[in-house]
Amino acid sequence: MNLTAVGNYPKIGKGPGGQKLRRSIARSDRGEITPEELALVEEEVTREVIEEQEAAGLDMVTDGMIRWDDGQTYIARQLEGFEATGLLRYFDTNTYYRQPVARGPVGWSGPITVEDYRFAASCTSLPVKAIITGPYTLAKLSRSEYHRDLAHLAMELADAMRREALALEGEGVPLLQVDEPAIVRNKEDWGLFQQVMERFTRDLEVKRMLYTWFGDVSGLEGFFNLDFDGFGLDFVMGPTNFDLLDGFPTEKTLGLGILDARNVRMETVDQVSDTVIDVSNRVSLDRIHLTPSCGLDYLPRETAIAKLRRLAEGAAALKETVS
Amino acid sequence: MGPLLTTSVGSFPKPPYLRKARGRAARGEMDRQELRELELQATREWIEAQEQIGIDILVDGEMDRGDMVTFFAENLDGMGISGLVRSYGNRYYRKPIATGPIRRKRPVTLDTWKYAQSLTDKPVKGMLTGPYTICDWSFDEYFPNREAFIMNVAEFVREEARDLEAAGAKYIQIDEPALSTRPEELEVAIRAMGVVTEGLSATTITHICYGDFAKIYPRMLDMPVDIFDLEMANAGYQLLDVFATHPFRKMLSAGVVDVHNHRIEGPDEVADGIRRVLKQFPAEKLQVDPDCGLKTRTVEEAKDKLIAVKKGVDLVKEELGVA
Repeated sequence: MNLTAVGNYPKIGKGPGGQKLRRSIARSDRGEITPEELALVEEEVTREVIEEQEAAGLDMVTDGMIRWDDGQTYIARQLEGFEATGLLRYFDTNTYYRQPVARGPVGWSGPITVEDYRFAASCTSLPVKAIITGPYTLAKLSRSEYHRDLAHLAMELADAMRREALALEGEGVPLLQVDEPAIVRNKEDWGLFQQVMERFTRDLEVKRMLYTWFGDVSGLEGFFNLDFDGFGLDFVMGPTNFDLLDGFPTEKTLGLGILDARNVRMETVDQVSDTVIDVSNRVSLDRIHLTPSCGLDYLPRETAIAKLRRLAEGAAALKETVS
Repeated sequence: MGPLLTTSVGSFPKPPYLRKARGRAARGEMDRQELRELELQATREWIEAQEQIGIDILVDGEMDRGDMVTFFAENLDGMGISGLVRSYGNRYYRKPIATGPIRRKRPVTLDTWKYAQSLTDKPVKGMLTGPYTICDWSFDEYFPNREAFIMNVAEFVREEARDLEAAGAKYIQIDEPALSTRPEELEVAIRAMGVVTEGLSATTITHICYGDFAKIYPRMLDMPVDIFDLEMANAGYQLLDVFATHPFRKMLSAGVVDVHNHRIEGPDEVADGIRRVLKQFPAEKLQVDPDCGLKTRTVEEAKDKLIAVKKGVDLVKEELGVA
């Protein structure tokens, strides 16, 4: 079994220095430090959160998406054709994002996350998972003043994000996580979603997992047949996902998101290990990535660390039980 | 109740001297009593300003509140405050946490309301945050489920409402800005509001904002309150189209100036907005106010927005011959 996080990570923490990124962004906004100086702080914090993931006992880490304001704008502002506008609520959270608006055709004009991956990989001997927002979710959470409809924008983004995936593939990333939470809340788009994914994954070779959260994938007929090596699911807000595991393909990997990343309440070690044992009857342990239910950015830093530790404690308890 | 009464949604900006004092008090450089005197001074100034402008139903302006949920959480047994959580971009807040059964240590809003009402012969609204919003904006590490949390908080809000009514409040507003976040929880929110308003003889109001009203209308009309206070101006009065699909059957307090904008609306623009609303609502069932709390504006902007509301209403009243 592989322990890993789903993506984003709290950017600020307690204690002296815990708020250096927040202060640096504020100073950068006021023009008191250069973009290069801000980038150095982002790197420093990225290194810290990788170390925290290592210390918690994860097997695979992410860069914590420390440079990302949110899942949409970080990508959109580096693509051609988008502009970030007003604040919108991200699904049913109390977190907001700036909605990207397409003013013309959208397209990929160069690597967006490759440098970030390279830096993160240089910080650790553990494998680093690369993360991008998927084309459907990006289209769904954006708006267009140019495209005919959602399908038009989503298909253009499928091409753009495929080029980003290819760039990461060229970099040799061990695993690419593609975030598509919007589909679980807009199941009526399932037909379009399949077309977008088909276009996005065409000729991709990089090992890749499709991640969703804030709901279940029931009713999305053939979800596990999409051209991905695995699927990350939220079993906290989508408990129905447990019922779908009987049909989980044996050759694919399951991202088992069972620690609630939206609430500070701590699961017990037994809850974690019991759930994994239960799931392992249907998905073999070596095909499980054990994770929180979604990114950890909704929690205070200290709780996020505690949740990751709890994953490791659950896994350790499981080893004892199994052996 | 007369036609087209003017009022406010709740919060006003804190004058610079009070903002500074709150900072000093938070750092322990000013004692509680000194801060309280400044809060009361600012309250007095706002009551005077509203009277001068000619507003009909006043508010105390919430000079003693920071965030509309944290303020209550700080005054309750069973609630704590977490570390910093990101709201968007580089903005963070301390999210409340339910840690045990929720009980009031003492009346939370009564003293300030009494003080404000003692300064004027016009009615001052009692201002409360609704149980659904308090829970939705908090972590919970105690209750077995969200409903149990919401219903427990409802008991507390009800005690506040009763105290306000017993002290003479003619209007009690219970804000539920989170209401439309999860349409599937609307029934629970309605039941919780029932606990709060049952048996009250005061006129009750709820303010809802940031909503996807199409998803909760007309079901939201079952909220047991007399008046819905809604932002109309910032969405260009599109809500009227939603309300045209089903009879509204309650009173409306219509927001006619945008609170997220520095620009001060002219009286004609405000009057135009009111006329649009009057096509669907009789004047006796309509109150008029800004879209939302004005706390993010400067003191001058906030006063100018209130003046715009008042002048717009006066124009329309003259046309109707009810001036």
